[in-house]
Amino acid sequence: MKPSPSHSPSPAPAVSASSGDSFIQLRGVEKAFGTQRVLRGLDLDIYRGETLVLIGPSGEGKSVLLKHIIGLLRPDAGSVCFDGTLLEDLDERQLRPVRRRIGYLFQNAALFDSLSVADNVAFPLREARVKNEDEIQQRVQEALEIVELGEHAAKMPINLSGGMRKRVGIARAIVDQPEILLYDEPTAGLDPIVTDVIDHMIRRMKKRFGITSVVITHDMGSVFKVADRIAMLMKGVIYFEGTPKELRSSRDPLLRNFITGRSEMTMRSGWGDRAPAHDNPIHPD
Amino acid sequence: MAMKRGPLQLLGRSFLDLVGYLGSLGMLLSEMLGALFRGRPRVLLMFEQIVRIGYGSQTVVVVTGAFTGAVFTAQTYFKFKDFGIESTIGGIVSVALCRELSPVLAGLMVTGRVGAAMAAEIGTMKVSEQIDALRAMGVHPVDYLVMPRFIAMMVSMPLLIAESIVFGLAASWLVSVVGFGIPHAWFWGHVVEHTNLEDVAFGMIKGFFFGIIIVLISCHQGLETTDGAVGVGLGTTRAVVYASLTLLIVNYFLTLLLTQFFPMGTGT
Repeated sequence: MKPSPSHSPSPAPAVSASSGDSFIQLRGVEKAFGTQRVLRGLDLDIYRGETLVLIGPSGEGKSVLLKHIIGLLRPDAGSVCFDGTLLEDLDERQLRPVRRRIGYLFQNAALFDSLSVADNVAFPLREARVKNEDEIQQRVQEALEIVELGEHAAKMPINLSGGMRKRVGIARAIVDQPEILLYDEPTAGLDPIVTDVIDHMIRRMKKRFGITSVVITHDMGSVFKVADRIAMLMKGVIYFEGTPKELRSSRDPLLRNFITGRSEMTMRSGWGDRAPAHDNPIHPD
Repeated sequence: MAMKRGPLQLLGRSFLDLVGYLGSLGMLLSEMLGALFRGRPRVLLMFEQIVRIGYGSQTVVVVTGAFTGAVFTAQTYFKFKDFGIESTIGGIVSVALCRELSPVLAGLMVTGRVGAAMAAEIGTMKVSEQIDALRAMGVHPVDYLVMPRFIAMMVSMPLLIAESIVFGLAASWLVSVVGFGIPHAWFWGHVVEHTNLEDVAFGMIKGFFFGIIIVLISCHQGLETTDGAVGVGLGTTRAVVYASLTLLIVNYFLTLLLTQFFPMGTGT
């Protein structure tokens, strides 16, 4: 069951061990860095097998939200539940089994400088104690072929362009066939052709392996190509949640401007001046 | 407008900062001890670090040991000659090298060479999200980054100090026997008479503890790095300064403590 667009906030219910087909549940998540409140009681469900695209103005906390899902950051308040497991109950070592089920593409790829491309991609497999070196090499090659970097296995990350580094990051995220992939701006800085390759790959991962994906992107073309559902983060809460069709047909001026990339209205009113969803109901057609 | 703080407030703030810092070091140390039992052993990484820390520090330690031995011998000779006791130089230099000069100077040199590299490397990994990438793949950064360095340092540091003592003594022999014409038998006789294995153990045990200090402080600075390139620079500087000062302070208390177990004797 897919939710309809959220128009009003509901009180944050306690997270149960399992509720429907919701794979990941965030309830009342709050996070501040010093005096800067980034997440302000955010609620979000991510459903098994879907591709959820997170959009929103820069600096609104989309990456912070992604890091909460994998337990790299812990909420100041609220809860994050991954497939029935409350992450805040787990310490760094106990989080290992959860993290092994997740692939994460970092915004800047975060490749290990000291390892070659092949060793970077093989890293999750070696950590998973795959002993057979032939199997490791085969799976590494397959992952690199998916991102069209098959001939660059021996290179060091320092010798790759930004786009290639990002694609190696994707190969590393998918090589161990995780159940969920978190992409932090997978197509930022890439040319349109490679962007299309990555978009197709995200769709293919869903079709072939039924992988759940959460994608942060500012590229609206990519949004409509890959999304089953879209959530817009603003002022620390989910401002909009719905299907691509619902987003396209929304008459909300902020959403319209965001989709079309127009600045007049947003410049005049300022993103920060708009109240979150519960004060400004959106009525998609 | 920032409020002016009085001297007492500044003192209090500094004290609280120190307590916080020591607490944070203690947490890392306890994580390291836990990793000894719960973490996955990474033998290959450990050998890589032994090569980088132990083998890579040879030149620095050998040169430091040799020239310390040489200059200490020369200075002692100039003064002792006035009293006609220059033949005893061997014994004095060898005990000083074993108990103080080699452990402290080798420790400081390794802090500058290895501690700075550890803080800079781990700090760069921190600010470029490589440590988050490790965590995202279920790898504990202490297991992967700190423990191989810790074990490698435990193995390397005592051996480096022993090497420094040997080269310091060799340089002392050259200066005394070849340079100042002290008979070899006198020089060596005093070395054997005034030095025993406990003196060597004294220095190597110090090296073991200095190794812990260098790894703990340097890795801690690396793991706590923030603010990009500036933060890496600051963290590296702090690692060297904090580790060097701590090493000198701990050296004093270790000397008092270890002397209880290995009293200064008259040799064999």
